Amino acid sequence: MNKELLKKSQSLIALFLLCLVISVLSDKFLTTNNLWNVLRQISVNICISVGMTLIVLMAGIDLSVGSVLAFTSAVCAGLLKNGIAIQSLDLFIGFTVLGSVLSALIIGLMMGIFNGWVITKFSLPPFVATLAMLTIARGATMLYTQGIPISNLGSSFEFIGSGWLLGIPVPVWISTIMVLIVVFITKKTAFGRYIYAIGGNEKAAFLSGININNIKLAVYGIAGMMAAIGGVLVTSRLNSAQPNAGTSYELDSIAAVVIGGTSLSGGVGTVTGTVIGAVIIGVLNNGLVLLNVSPFWQQVVKGLVILLAVIIDKKSKK
Amino acid sequence: MKKSYLYTILAILLGVLLYNSVYFEKLSKRNSQKNAKFDFNTFADSLYYNGILKSTQAIEINQLLALTKVNADSAFKTYGNRLGIGESAYFMVNATGKIIEKNEGELKVITQNGTTLIIDTKYIFGNAIRDASGLVKLTDFKTNADFNKVSEALNTVIREKAIPKNLNNIINGNIISVTGAIKLKKGKTKNQILNILPIKISKSEQ
Repeated sequence: MNKELLKKSQSLIALFLLCLVISVLSDKFLTTNNLWNVLRQISVNICISVGMTLIVLMAGIDLSVGSVLAFTSAVCAGLLKNGIAIQSLDLFIGFTVLGSVLSALIIGLMMGIFNGWVITKFSLPPFVATLAMLTIARGATMLYTQGIPISNLGSSFEFIGSGWLLGIPVPVWISTIMVLIVVFITKKTAFGRYIYAIGGNEKAAFLSGININNIKLAVYGIAGMMAAIGGVLVTSRLNSAQPNAGTSYELDSIAAVVIGGTSLSGGVGTVTGTVIGAVIIGVLNNGLVLLNVSPFWQQVVKGLVILLAVIIDKKSKK
Repeated sequence: MKKSYLYTILAILLGVLLYNSVYFEKLSKRNSQKNAKFDFNTFADSLYYNGILKSTQAIEINQLLALTKVNADSAFKTYGNRLGIGESAYFMVNATGKIIEKNEGELKVITQNGTTLIIDTKYIFGNAIRDASGLVKLTDFKTNADFNKVSEALNTVIREKAIPKNLNNIINGNIISVTGAIKLKKGKTKNQILNILPIKISKSEQ
């Protein structure tokens, strides 16, 4: 019983130990400003990782989330700043903050659904299909922005990424709401149970009457939309859409999922575990910066932590 | 019956979302408004003659250098202007000194305290004067490019109109007063070559 409890809380214990070590080594870590900053920074990764969790639970993977984030970020900023001009109709369609954000979410959703469609229709490995989308979306971002950042998006848009609501940063509210929604989906709905069933044994799930293709389409769609939410947060925080935004975010999100205890072979894992994983990565990043560790070493350390998490996952299955 | 209620509510919700998401304008009208271009040259003229010359606060260079030695943070915060993060800031300073060299494009001046200054009179470029003045904000302009055009136009006014007039009767050995922009880096104010981009040079009576 105690062993089971220990196994379930291993990532929480790791987080606690990490916080303890960093707070001993740096007196700036446990300051209110720094902790809010960490939470604000990890909000983006939490949104992406939560979507990624659903995919990994189905034994899939999505390598395109970083590029989808960049593309939706560019579209959101582009629509807000430049709108759409239709010469032949002598018509200009302008977008409000709400309009540009909704457009970004819809585009993220469509890109995710496209990933799911390619995977199910052509029976492609998710790794390959989403790798293709990674390149397509990055190229599309460069085409759309011409490699130039889209800046000065206005203070009302900036509020989404930099504002405070009831004493808590807005991005923290948004990521918390997203987490609660996905936790509800996985724990309380048939759709959530189907995801676990597909990840556990796809053939058995199919034979029991689950429409696997539709579930996959929906899950990849949700992940795309989550990446778009991350895109909106990043754009708003910087008040600018950067063409190279989201580079390697897919790795951070996969790391958060794995560290949080979700099995890469599917069927096992929780969204709350992923949130802890994302917090571990955020705290680790912050701690390494506070301790003046070189960025090159930061990457090495992060890689080692992911490796350790996967080894522990593998060992715990035996 | 229940479904029709649901669809009605969804349609209303979608309508409200759409209404608050997009707006329409005639493209030609919008373009004509956009084409009524901002005149950077007029803006720079007004900024220089009515803004910078009249209301810019300048600190005496030796006083500034002394303050940076005592408390750099306070000196940079009180007298410096900077746009982003970093250790450098622009200052509007004034100085009085004797011209020891008058070269093509620069004056070499030595102040009473022995500080040597180089005053650029030809190569007035960059954002130093705009930023040191503290009178123009990035947020007042739509793009960074527009913001930089202010510097370009302002530098042109100073380089081509103001400074040549100021230099008319100045010769080697004259005592002059200069007001201008300087860039300093925190912690590195010692032994720096002090290059001033002038906004005004005048012959001193001293």
